[in-house]
Amino acid sequence: MTVRTVLVVEDDEDILALVTKRLRLDGYEVVEARDGEEALELARERQPTIAVLDLGLPGIDGLEVLRRIRADDELNGMLVVLLTARAQEADVRRGFDAGADAYVRKPFSPTKLSESVSELVKRQASGTA
Amino acid sequence: MALPRECRLGALFLVAGIATATLYFLFPSSGTAQAAIYDTIGGFAVVGILWGIRTYQPRPVRPWIVFAVGNALFVAGDAVVDLYPNATSPSAADVLYLSAYPLFALSVVMMLIASEGHRSGGTLVDAGIVTLAFAVFQWIFVMQPAIHGDGTLSQKIIYGLHPAMDIVLLSGYASFFGSPAWRTPAFMLLVAGFVAQLVGDEAVGLSTARYQEGRWVDFTWMLSYVFWGAAALIPSMKELTVPRRVSTVLFSRWRVGVLAGALLTVPIALVVAHARGDSIGIYEVSALAAAITLLVVSRLSGVLRTMERIRMRERNARWLAEDTQKLLADQNERLLEADRLKDEFVALISHDLRTPLTSIIGYVELALDASLSPTLDKERRGYLQIVARNSDRLVRLVDDLLFVARVQAGRLILEPAELDLSELVRQAVDEARPRAEQGGLEMSFDANGPVLIEGDRGRLSQLLDNLISNALKFTHPGGRVELRVESSSDGVLLDVNDTGIGLPPGDTERIFERFFRTRNAVAEQIPGTGLGLFIARAIAEAHGGSISASSRAEGGTTFRILLPLRAESTVDPDAAELLV
Repeated sequence: MTVRTVLVVEDDEDILALVTKRLRLDGYEVVEARDGEEALELARERQPTIAVLDLGLPGIDGLEVLRRIRADDELNGMLVVLLTARAQEADVRRGFDAGADAYVRKPFSPTKLSESVSELVKRQASGTA
Repeated sequence: MALPRECRLGALFLVAGIATATLYFLFPSSGTAQAAIYDTIGGFAVVGILWGIRTYQPRPVRPWIVFAVGNALFVAGDAVVDLYPNATSPSAADVLYLSAYPLFALSVVMMLIASEGHRSGGTLVDAGIVTLAFAVFQWIFVMQPAIHGDGTLSQKIIYGLHPAMDIVLLSGYASFFGSPAWRTPAFMLLVAGFVAQLVGDEAVGLSTARYQEGRWVDFTWMLSYVFWGAAALIPSMKELTVPRRVSTVLFSRWRVGVLAGALLTVPIALVVAHARGDSIGIYEVSALAAAITLLVVSRLSGVLRTMERIRMRERNARWLAEDTQKLLADQNERLLEADRLKDEFVALISHDLRTPLTSIIGYVELALDASLSPTLDKERRGYLQIVARNSDRLVRLVDDLLFVARVQAGRLILEPAELDLSELVRQAVDEARPRAEQGGLEMSFDANGPVLIEGDRGRLSQLLDNLISNALKFTHPGGRVELRVESSSDGVLLDVNDTGIGLPPGDTERIFERFFRTRNAVAEQIPGTGLGLFIARAIAEAHGGSISASSRAEGGTTFRILLPLRAESTVDPDAAELLV
């Protein structure tokens, strides 16, 4: 089984460390980014299978990062799980409209997040298989 | 029409007086009987006025005393004429009569001043115009002939003074129309008496023959006594001297008519006199006409001033209105700004509370993960479990507060879809059952088949969770919580029934208020924020439904929710933009 790479984009250090810790425990290789620019750069460089993307980022916000990912032929196939503290139905819809694959609302249980990620990866693997 | 009891005396006086005056003509002319009737009516008028003063106690009393004295002088004059029918002018009777007129005029002017009617300047000027016009008439048609007629000089003076006294009397009564009490019966009777007096006087003055007793003019004079006596015998007599606010009157139709008539008097009188070849007394008439002109000019300028004042007042009012409107617009803008800031604040707080809660909940979960921390002792694990439980509570509180903020901003948005309410309730019950069993409670759900409604799944689940959590919280171990769904043609009924501590009487409405907690809940230290039922109601109402609570004396509460089969959709694409 190949080790999957997960890109975690989160500006809050504690949450970044938390998500990284959980995903590493679950056997993923984790790449960390703290803002949108860095995220796009690392995405191109490391070609992760999946990104856990916070919506409220400094500079380019998460939604814009997501749109650029979907507009980029190289990154287009990447799975994206959105993470946000703003949990209005309108945000969820806008997130899915921009091309998100899943949505996790803060505060979240790290185990649940990990399960969402695994499920998406598994589904994609079986879909492409 | 029934006559008010207190007016009966005046009415009786009026009727008896007129009847007696009519008897006058049944007796031989200039006889003792006629004299007796005439003097009796006059005497009764004086007695009537004094009686009225005593009964109604007008304040100030002086105008009425002066009025009574004027009447008494008239009666005395009558008596002198009766006693010395052949006395020639100037006689004692002339002196008595002539001195009575100014007293009559004075009495009504005193009433006018007491009632503050004299402050109505326009009315006084109008009275002046009418009086001067009458003076022109009297001068040309009554006084001039008297002066140029037969008789000694002193007789001519007396004959000229009688019509002059009518001018004085008119001046008084014309100003009396400035009285604020002019609608009262007493005022009308006084004026009627004056008119009767004037008609009699003018009939005598205008006829070329000298007055002879027993003619119809006596009737008018007797009438004036009767009217004046009656005026003092009705309760409204005391209102004539009560100060009242005088409203600014510009020109009523009748007032314009009277003034026009007065102004036309001079040219008409001149033409008539000229046609009859009467001597006119050109200087006197010119002087009077000039005086009338001056009064008209002063009246006009008064009217213009009043209009200007009204215009200014109007303009000030308009400015004030404009300022107020601007102020309102400003305030409205500020309110909108405050509203926007509040929304931003709520969104910010929401974000800022959720971020640290994410770390707390996440790290506690990691710490409690047995595979990661096998060395964690039981006591410390307990502590962390308490932190986890309270973090969850805090998350729920934040969610509830945000929800309430949204409801209050009128931004509770539903995303309705067709759903089976029975299925939704069954799920909620199944989810809650472990909690119920932990607390030693029995849970049951009863429904006959699927119940399809149009509703927001997430919101209805939230409503059910709130009601079920409440029922579990407020029911002691061994109790029961039952849910029931039933549909009819009117809509859907959902009952949440428990055997818990119940509601204090009178609280069944208040429990749906924001932050309201019952005394029972506080006394039993059952945790809660007082938001759950407020939220439940908001959700039920957003679905076009209602919620109510009832409690039984032996304990136990039932919450009943009524939902329409199809909820009106409240989805508003613009409102959906709110970010919280």
